[in-house]
Amino acid sequence: MPLIIKDEYPEKLFRDDGKRLDGRDKDELRPIKMEVGVLENADGSAYLEWGNNKIYAAVYGPREVHPHHLAKPDRGILRVFYRMATFSVFERKRPAPGRREKEISMVISDCLKPVLFLELYPGTAFEVYINVLDADGGTRCACITVAALALADAGVPMRSLVTAVAVGKIDGELITDLSGIEDKAGEADLPCAITWFNEELSLLQFDGETDLEEFSKCLGLAKNAFSKIYEIQLDALKKKYIEIQEEYSRGEKK
Amino acid sequence: MEHEKDEHIEDPTIDTSEDIDVDEFDDEQTSRDLVVPGEVLTEDTKNFLPGRGTIFNKDRSKIISLNIGLKQVKRNYINVIPLRGFYTPRPGDKVIALVTDKNPVKYICDINAKDRGILKPKNTVPRGKPRGYRGGAPDNHDNSTKKYEIGDILIVKVLSADRLNKPELTTVGKYLGKRRDGLVITIDPPKIPRVIGRSGSMIKMLKNLTKSNIFVTQNGRIWLKGEDLAHERLLIDAIRKIEKEAHTVGLTDRMSEYIENEKKIRGMN
Repeated sequence: MPLIIKDEYPEKLFRDDGKRLDGRDKDELRPIKMEVGVLENADGSAYLEWGNNKIYAAVYGPREVHPHHLAKPDRGILRVFYRMATFSVFERKRPAPGRREKEISMVISDCLKPVLFLELYPGTAFEVYINVLDADGGTRCACITVAALALADAGVPMRSLVTAVAVGKIDGELITDLSGIEDKAGEADLPCAITWFNEELSLLQFDGETDLEEFSKCLGLAKNAFSKIYEIQLDALKKKYIEIQEEYSRGEKK
Repeated sequence: MEHEKDEHIEDPTIDTSEDIDVDEFDDEQTSRDLVVPGEVLTEDTKNFLPGRGTIFNKDRSKIISLNIGLKQVKRNYINVIPLRGFYTPRPGDKVIALVTDKNPVKYICDINAKDRGILKPKNTVPRGKPRGYRGGAPDNHDNSTKKYEIGDILIVKVLSADRLNKPELTTVGKYLGKRRDGLVITIDPPKIPRVIGRSGSMIKMLKNLTKSNIFVTQNGRIWLKGEDLAHERLLIDAIRKIEKEAHTVGLTDRMSEYIENEKKIRGMN
């Protein structure tokens, strides 16, 4: 007997004390944890916990392209494979890649391309494998963030890191970093990503309804969130090496 | 199968330090500042120029890093010594190759780069060797791929390499050719200069203390052969430790200390 659970959203997305359902303020991010170099056999890898999202990213390359007809004679290509685990969402997700996953793969690839020097590696591919083990809203933003980290960890020359976050509107209020339920029941959802070398938006998607004034306010919220997440990214990248440096310098003092 | 004279490798105690004599990691000018891609290295673009691993930003007002690595200021150039990365073949590099495939006209070798290397049979025998005699059938010496088998470990030199074409290799030359013994380990290619050390100090120390032969190549592969298994194991552990701590200072002294300690712990003389 299959278990049937209707999608029921709460009527109000704010609690009586003015906070969100998970107890956050309007412009508060979910707790974020990042780590690089987690997979031994990949050229570069990273792991991200963003609220309830748990995501692994692995980077390989530059290497030969298979199937060969995808290779470009004048530049390298960036292939992104965004996949969700069957157990990552409430109802079992069919493991075959669907339309949504293919689209998000393309979106992430287009978002990361401006920071790479693909023209230096003709006929090759950089491959980014992203696996979402646990999903709770904003996975495409989390994936961009973690993929940029994994690329940096692989030693791929990059102009800068990329950071992404979703902003939106629920119950008439503008908020930062939508969770799964806010994404579904809210009014608007605006995932965006920034490339830091020119501080330009590299991803801007929009779903829902706002007026123009609110839209630009949303981007302002995103800008604040970007710099917070960027700090965590930098820390995660440097931590691996600084720990070893410190361990050694402590030994010297003794 | 008959083996040529040139295949015979005399004394494998080879000093590779001539290739990379400056240990960039141990340079005084290399700061211990860790930088990541996109980090601004300086905004003083009048006095400094971007060197290796760095770039101007769009309006040339800043110099930014491209890699995760250590910042180095050399004269008026700002470089970033990468800590992670891949090997790009350059002509003249001596590298360790694995024969992965062969056909009647060429061997295909894995050289740990984005393209697989091509080794043509004419590049496996020295020039000027008799090519059969006039009027008779040519001696099938230099145009068949019978010399090496799939799975062989070769030390090769890169003859030509660029962005577009597959690198061409040769096994004619000093120390080049097939290796029949020893073992090969792979480390991160950017950390190879650290294993060699400044003017070969690290590699000399490793050779002396573990009584082993080591051949370090640019593509991140290290061929080694010790007296016995215990020495080889110690050497591999030491190289892994160097790889891990490549960005710290005073590594050579620390490594000799480490090897001496490990020798006592492992009961080796």
